[in-house]
Amino acid sequence: MDKWKQFFRDYGWCYLFIAVPVILFLVFTLYPVLAALVMSFQKYHVLNPKWIGFDNYRMMFQDEVFWKAMWNTFVFTVGTVPLNLFITLGLAILIFPRSTRTQTFFKAAFYLPTVMSGVTLALVWFWIYDPTESGLLNMFLGLFGIENVMWLGKSNSSLFSIMFMTYFINHGAGIILYLAALGGIPKSLYEAADIDHASEWSKFKNITWPLLKPTTLYLLVTSIILSFQVFMSIYLMTQGGPNFATTTIAYLIYEHAFVYYKFGLAAAESFVLGFIIILASIAQFKFMSSDVEY
Amino acid sequence: MASIRFDNVTKRFVDEKNGGMFTAVHGASFEIKDQEFVVFVGPSGCGKTTSLRMIAGLERQTDGDILIDGRVVNTVHPKDRDIAMVFQDYALYPHMSISDNLSFGLKNMGRPASEIKEKVDYAANVLGLSHLLDRKPKEMSGGQRQRVAVGRAIVRNPKVFLFDEPLSNLDAKLRVQMRIELAQLHKRLGATIVYVTHDQVEAMTLGQRIVVMNQGHIQQIASPRELYRNPANMFVAGFIGSPPMNFFDAVLEGNKLRVGDMLLEIPADRVADYQGYNGKDIILGLRPEDIHDIDFAYNIPTHNQARVQVEVVEHLGAENLVYFRVGERMITAKVAGESSITTGDTPTFVFNMDKMHLFDKTTEQRI
Ligand SMILES: Nc1ncnc2c1ncn2[C@@H]1O[C@H](COP(=O)(O)OP(=O)(O)OP(=O)(O)O)[C@@H](O)[C@H]1O
Ligand SMILES: [Mg+2]
Repeated sequence: MDKWKQFFRDYGWCYLFIAVPVILFLVFTLYPVLAALVMSFQKYHVLNPKWIGFDNYRMMFQDEVFWKAMWNTFVFTVGTVPLNLFITLGLAILIFPRSTRTQTFFKAAFYLPTVMSGVTLALVWFWIYDPTESGLLNMFLGLFGIENVMWLGKSNSSLFSIMFMTYFINHGAGIILYLAALGGIPKSLYEAADIDHASEWSKFKNITWPLLKPTTLYLLVTSIILSFQVFMSIYLMTQGGPNFATTTIAYLIYEHAFVYYKFGLAAAESFVLGFIIILASIAQFKFMSSDVEY
Repeated sequence: MASIRFDNVTKRFVDEKNGGMFTAVHGASFEIKDQEFVVFVGPSGCGKTTSLRMIAGLERQTDGDILIDGRVVNTVHPKDRDIAMVFQDYALYPHMSISDNLSFGLKNMGRPASEIKEKVDYAANVLGLSHLLDRKPKEMSGGQRQRVAVGRAIVRNPKVFLFDEPLSNLDAKLRVQMRIELAQLHKRLGATIVYVTHDQVEAMTLGQRIVVMNQGHIQQIASPRELYRNPANMFVAGFIGSPPMNFFDAVLEGNKLRVGDMLLEIPADRVADYQGYNGKDIILGLRPEDIHDIDFAYNIPTHNQARVQVEVVEHLGAENLVYFRVGERMITAKVAGESSITTGDTPTFVFNMDKMHLFDKTTEQRI
């Protein structure tokens, strides 16, 4: 008994502080997840949920739109994540050798827009993609005699248009991470490589890239997760259309839940999405993980 | 193989704090002969690393010419200078295995795989690394890493080896061992070696010639023996030798030196050299090993004697260091370990004036 008293006197405060985030996690993360798991086996109604076993899952897998959304999500991820990572790294490498002042300027220039609301961004791009000649993109292409394109309104260009937009935004955080990682590579390694007859490409391939791997892995995992969940730009710009051309899993879940009120089905879809994300993350750690330490 | 020449080489850095320029190396001129082992020594910040990096081409001199093998290399890229460098922190590629670390240079040069393997195996063998080739640098001890760094230089078989304080991270025992290995390596490879250290023992044991630097200025270039016997100025005299040379404030009076209340006689054959300083303040330099406990003063002239008040005695085993004061200055005498002098004694010391050095008080140059 004494031991417990002693323990609480010594460590009680610690547990009090830890308790706050733990309780928040339990109430706002774990409980909803478990509730959603239960929900995915129900025909959900607030007052009168009905247990229907695997019916939601069966319905989902038989739904053509679900597979279309899976495909769209896959295309979106493959079409954005690697290229964006490449752009981010390229920008970081261009910024890194500059003076501290110039670096700070570019860091701010790339990072500040990322705090801009997604709604604002979507509106700006909505205007850029305006299907008439008053849209910025059409206006620009018009200079070369190219006819107006309904960027967001046609099923063969809408998903690409949404992907294209991501190439220009959200590089700030990645740039800052890459710059920090570049700064952490000892300069003497490059000098040693200079003496070792290494070309610029050899230095990048054999020193920079391998030593940036932990950062690349982190950015890859986080950006793949985010891209699996892409929602806001689609909700604001195309509502999944036209003809489901931009319907992603996250958007489908939203639609099933809050437009059609099929909460059980939406919950089931969420679990499939979560499962895929976990699998993808494990795979990346397996393939990319490295033991770089310096 | 290769010789290296500096012609009036100056290096200035932009001083970010004060906005001006900071001169790290002032008009250095010297020549390093083919196959010579030359050591750069001096206190921290004196410009040793900067000089080495200029030879390597990692730093471009502000003024003057650098020649390797008679060819001006001022604008030549490091990789085209046929040099290899061992960095102070080794700069091993942390993500590569030891064998990849060793072969990186040869691979960049596009050498055939069979030749690379042969050279890596040879270097690993010479340095006792053969069983470690698959390890990563972080899985090795400091001494092993140091050997990898040397190995990376050896495989390329360059004309010039540059070493930047390669032993400074090692413990005392390993340092002695590596010092011997480096000396043997120099014999075996027959290469020109430029070696930077701030440790004068390393400099004395390794260098065929030593370049002593201070605050960007070359103080003296000479063999270890010459530096010890005929230091050019008070800086070199105080830097080379351990414990360092004692300095006394003295006044020249004919054939005698007045040092505090002592009167020390100058060797007869040297009196004539100093007559221009008669009656003037000068500095007498005498090494601790040239001040003897009278009971152990064999084979030396004993007519310069003085009684002193001992302040501290340090016992080092084979010898003792005895500290006493002359005027303001603390003086060290190195006496035999058997000497019975203890703290508080007033023993008589013999000053071996055959080994004295005299310095100009203002220029600090030897006279
Ligand atoms: N890149 C640089 N920019 C500005 N000043 C520099 C630079 N590199 C060296 N210095 C200055 O030049 C002087 C000589 O530096 P250097 O590295 O050659 O000293 P060192 O003799 O190798 O000293 P240590 O024994 O501490 O390694 C130092 O005062 C240092 O601050
Ligand atoms: Mg240095």
